[in-house]
Amino acid sequence: MSEEEGTKEYAYFLGCITPNRYPGIEAATKRILKEFGIETKEMMGASCCPAPGVFGSFDMHTWLPVAARNLAIAEEMDLDIVVTCNGCYGSLQEADHLLKGNPKLKEKTNEILGKFGREFKGTTKVNHSIVVLHDVIGLDRLKEKITKPMNGVNVAVHYGCHFLKPREVRGHGSSETPYILEDLVKVTGAKDVDYKDKLMCCGAGGGNRTADSVQSLEWMRQKLVSAIEEGCDCMVHPCAFCHLQLDRGQAEMNKAFGTDYNFPILFATQFLGLAMGLSEKECGLDIQTTTMPEKLLK
Amino acid sequence: MAEEEEYDYTKIPPTGSVEGIAAGAPEDSPRIGVYVCHCGINIKMVVDVEDVTRYAASLPNVVVARHYIFMCSDPGQDLIRKDLAEGRVNRVIVASCSPRMHEPTFRKTCSDSGLNPFYYEMANIREHCSWPHGDFHKEATEKAKELVRSAVARSALLEPLEEKLVDVKPEALVIGGGVTGMYAALDIANGGYKVHLVEKKPSIGGHVAQLSRTFPTLERVASLLTPRMIEVGAHPNIDLMTCSEVEEIGGYIGNFDVKVKRKPRYIDMEKCKDCTPCIEACPVKDIPDEFNEGLSTRSAIYIPFPFAVPPAYTIDAEHCLLLKEGKCGDATLETIKEGKAVPPCMAACPGVIDFEQKDEIEEFTAGTIIVATGYDLVDPGVSAEYKYGVYPNVITSMEFERLLSPGGPTGGKIELNGKEPKDIMFISCVGSRNKQVGNEYCSRVCCMYLAKQAYLAKEQLPDADVKVAFQDVRAFGKGFEEFYGDVKTEGVFYMRGLPGEIYKKPGSDRVVVRGENTFIGEPYEQEADLVVLGMGLAPNKDVKSIISMLKLSTSVDGFLMEAHPKLRPVDTATDGIFIAGCCASPKDITDSIAQGKATASGSLLYLVQGMAKIEPAISQIDEEICIGCARCVDVCPYGALELDEVRHVMTVNEAVCKGCGGCNSICPSGAATMKHYRDRQVYAQIEALTEITDVGMLAELESAATAAVAAEASAGAADTGSEAGEGEGAETEAVPGAE
Amino acid sequence: MGTLYEDMVAYGGEVFGKEHMETLRECVQCGKCTGGCPSGRNTAFRTRKLFQMALTDMREEIFNSPELWFCSTCYTCYERCPKGVKTTDLIRTIRNLAAKEGHMSVPHRMIGVYVLKTSHAVPLGPAQMELRKAVGLDEMAPTAQKYKDQLEQVQTIFKTTGYDAMIDFDWDTMNLKGMDKGGKK
Ligand SMILES: Cc1cc2nc3c(=O)[nH]c(=O)nc-3n(C[C@H](O)[C@H](O)[C@H](O)COP(=O)(O)OP(=O)(O)OC[C@H]3O[C@@H](n4cnc5c(N)ncnc54)[C@H](O)[C@@H]3O)c2cc1C
Ligand code: SF4
Ligand code: SF4
Ligand code: SF4
Ligand code: SF4
Repeated sequence: MSEEEGTKEYAYFLGCITPNRYPGIEAATKRILKEFGIETKEMMGASCCPAPGVFGSFDMHTWLPVAARNLAIAEEMDLDIVVTCNGCYGSLQEADHLLKGNPKLKEKTNEILGKFGREFKGTTKVNHSIVVLHDVIGLDRLKEKITKPMNGVNVAVHYGCHFLKPREVRGHGSSETPYILEDLVKVTGAKDVDYKDKLMCCGAGGGNRTADSVQSLEWMRQKLVSAIEEGCDCMVHPCAFCHLQLDRGQAEMNKAFGTDYNFPILFATQFLGLAMGLSEKECGLDIQTTTMPEKLLK
Repeated sequence: MAEEEEYDYTKIPPTGSVEGIAAGAPEDSPRIGVYVCHCGINIKMVVDVEDVTRYAASLPNVVVARHYIFMCSDPGQDLIRKDLAEGRVNRVIVASCSPRMHEPTFRKTCSDSGLNPFYYEMANIREHCSWPHGDFHKEATEKAKELVRSAVARSALLEPLEEKLVDVKPEALVIGGGVTGMYAALDIANGGYKVHLVEKKPSIGGHVAQLSRTFPTLERVASLLTPRMIEVGAHPNIDLMTCSEVEEIGGYIGNFDVKVKRKPRYIDMEKCKDCTPCIEACPVKDIPDEFNEGLSTRSAIYIPFPFAVPPAYTIDAEHCLLLKEGKCGDATLETIKEGKAVPPCMAACPGVIDFEQKDEIEEFTAGTIIVATGYDLVDPGVSAEYKYGVYPNVITSMEFERLLSPGGPTGGKIELNGKEPKDIMFISCVGSRNKQVGNEYCSRVCCMYLAKQAYLAKEQLPDADVKVAFQDVRAFGKGFEEFYGDVKTEGVFYMRGLPGEIYKKPGSDRVVVRGENTFIGEPYEQEADLVVLGMGLAPNKDVKSIISMLKLSTSVDGFLMEAHPKLRPVDTATDGIFIAGCCASPKDITDSIAQGKATASGSLLYLVQGMAKIEPAISQIDEEICIGCARCVDVCPYGALELDEVRHVMTVNEAVCKGCGGCNSICPSGAATMKHYRDRQVYAQIEALTEITDVGMLAELESAATAAVAAEASAGAADTGSEAGEGEGAETEAVPGAE
Repeated sequence: MGTLYEDMVAYGGEVFGKEHMETLRECVQCGKCTGGCPSGRNTAFRTRKLFQMALTDMREEIFNSPELWFCSTCYTCYERCPKGVKTTDLIRTIRNLAAKEGHMSVPHRMIGVYVLKTSHAVPLGPAQMELRKAVGLDEMAPTAQKYKDQLEQVQTIFKTTGYDAMIDFDWDTMNLKGMDKGGKK
């Protein structure tokens, strides 16, 4: 809708971690989009997406109507959705995809939503904020607003899993050769550095973090080490849930393994925010676990 | 009766007959015999063949109805022969399988007994009934009856047709000069007939010329192939056209009109002494050498490889400065003409290089055509997790062949950037057996060439660690399994499991392969300085134009489609056109040669006889009715129609017409009809199927009738379980009797 | 109850479509899934083996192994499986069936508790309210956590599908039943 008609308004689906743990992501995203004339509207009454790997793992028949309810809220607002978490992206997009392709499932789901007067119609589109940045705003316009170029900064890009995969639903091309995040990093003047475990999972998803946190932190440690080994200064990603694992997780890891990692983790809009002249505080980067080096703030 | 009880096919006896209601009909009226086949249990299991037989006997003009366990068997055919010999029947219907399968069989049964084969009709109650409706015994039996009823209605209206013969020009065209095309050409040439061999590259030899040694015997490919290549190049009966491509093909079996475009080499082949001064003189030196898979570079004037046939140089027009940019050094085409400045190559080799050469079109007529255009390597980018093109340590199997070849970029030494690898890993099935990349098929040769390559690696570098990561080892050929055993005892370690991904080892130029050894169920990370991807074989992308010119079909996998996957592996749906080698499916040299030779023998059948039968079920113009509007000319895909300007009526070239029915459906006056598919024959069939007696409604069915003609002919596609190709190729399928 | 495969096709088929589930039978045990699996190289979980065990109907062994929960649903294997086996969705389906039979850890069940109580898997606390204010946002986002009637809608879904019963949720204490006894399994 928004793209064709040029309406610059999205329903911002917050999910859980963005508003309740990392409000900096929410603030930075709203600010940047606004900078390009895009309004983000609150979705009153939205809930947990719900986490696809978790609720999808326990009971798909609960996962689906909860997701459908969230979609229905955006439909009532007559807006497309924008998200800042791969979990939300995965959950809502998959639910939308399944419901659109399966009338019986849709009927069954709407029977539940009908109990409180809601209905999934299939009229909204689920967008990821980094796709809005890359495709709707576009690299050229982004470039114009870069006031504090990140020249000399080596960035390890982390995609998280559910942004790219499964590609048959996501539609961002091959999950082995992605480009969107790389483009966004490069547009700031920073260097996108290839590293061994670039496409590896952060370790948190699918209830894995909950099932065995130490084991799940070990995945993350491997990922961080492989970025650090290539001389990266920070990690930039598009997922609030990964942010929780990668940022908070470092403190947990240091405690569990007796290490002292402090590798800067930034959500894509926080990184772009800095490059566009927002302060560390405005991006909420001062109120998270990992701290930002001078190199990123100068 | 039977409907009441549960149908039990085991109770049906192997044979039985019922006298038909027309048993007493006069000799000169249609006297139809219906023969219902059980096809073992293929039909009987679903369709109550006894019931169908009884029903058939009750239909008009039916004299006798019989059922039998295998109608195509000798005793089955005897039932027909006997009825014919006794003068009992003069029309034959077999209700069995697809006409694709056995129409030729039963037509021959009829003609051997003196009945015109076009009095034979077929009801397909297997592919169109028992197979798809396996769960519906009752309905299937009803449908079988309807199909028989329809065949009976048509049978009564059939006419005898005469098969015509055409002369065959005693020359063959072979497209593609790989090992397959070479062997096909040699057999025909040695059989005493002329062969036009068209190869698009500057030399014949195809992919085999690039190989090092061959499995399982480890013979040097150059020494096996060179003598054959020279023989082809020198054979008096072979007209070898390299740097050439087929531009146009028209005509029909025995008389294909061919136009070939010969691209200039800008070299006088007679005078070229196959030396090197011109190469040294040429200033362009950085063109990736395609023969070496880009592992080395060449100049704009070059010979693809030392044992090329013909042994002559070529100037690559896409890279030659003079041809591309108009100027090389001080020389331009003008200065050469004026005898002033010449380019360095001409200076180095006076009198041999000729920039005035132009494209030449050569035209000839060929009796038969053999397509042997080979394969392309699958694009290694399809499995991006293996990082081909990202890490230089990851190479394709064809690149590795070049590293192994004495004539290759390293003189046969396995090295990468001048360094000998210590750990080499081979990965099987890259781009094959993989739905995600769109190639479901097994490429058949890679298991064995990987075994060969791993063996050769171990032989040359005994201290290297050589591993093959595989999912299955398909050692299907003679001596292959034994060879596979030898490779392993030589010290090559076979590790089961397809690797998941490859990454570069941080701070090193080595890579790490991540996988699972599925036998022990443990993941591993294996360091390697060389990874060889066992690339699959894909359909040749360059044959699109040949597919459309020859109206060939492709199978789902994209390879060219044979007339029947089991019974007619090198024939196509069009008489006189054959396919062989890797253009039809991946195969090794042995099988490619076998097919090449098979197509030679198929061609020689026609060339030796000098004659070929042509399909009589073709278009016929009623000159009384034809108004000469020529609308049919536009729809005929074969150019079989020509207007007789004097009499102002349309004429049909009987050898060219394939009986597709296009003219029949477009003709506004109803002058164009199809023999064997006359309107009344088709309408009767439809009428019997739909039981429509209202004549007014029949008229509305006119267009449906044409569709039925097409459907009948295209039954073949469904029957062989294959798919007609897109566009032009698909049309072939709609040609009745194109076989 | 049929074989595990049959149950997967029936149950997962309702959501993903039967064909999606039936791809399990196409597995050729090539090991490419485990080969690139981040869990495989860190835990005892073997994707490939799980599928073979599912096809051999080793229901109890699968349901009782902690490894079943060590897949992060990263979809790496899903993308690479040469046979197009819908790996990750099959794993999630097996987990659903396991959960239905009571194989669900307390921490996993607690996630449901949070959502039932607050509509969020990760609830908001006073400290985070301060963080929100620090970046200039309202102290509480206007999600279902803020509105009782909206939260009730989420709860209605959980009640209708029986998720509350599945995790042994106690509506009186708004917590798991028998938390003191350490839960069911
Ligand atoms: C890495 C590798 C190693 C192998 N090792 C072995 C081995 O050890 N032993 C073995 O038995 N097999 C081996 N093979 C298989 C072998 O390459 C094939 O069996 C063989 O090449 C098939 O020959 P072909 O003539 O059918 O096709 P090709 O070799 O592909 O030849 C086709 C020819 O047709 C020409 N052509 C294509 N299109 C046109 C056109 N439109 N007009 C004119 N000409 C055209 C091409 O230029 C080419 O010359 C190997 C294959 C690979 C990939
Ligand atoms: S004209 Fe120049 S570029 Fe062309 S082949 Fe001769 S020397 Fe090479
Ligand atoms: S021949 Fe062997 S390597 Fe090639 S696709 Fe078949 S199984 Fe795989
Ligand atoms: S990658 Fe696919 S086919 Fe191979 S073992 Fe895993 S699920 Fe089976
Ligand atoms: S989806 Fe699960 S099984 Fe597949 S690779 Fe990721 S963690 Fe492993």
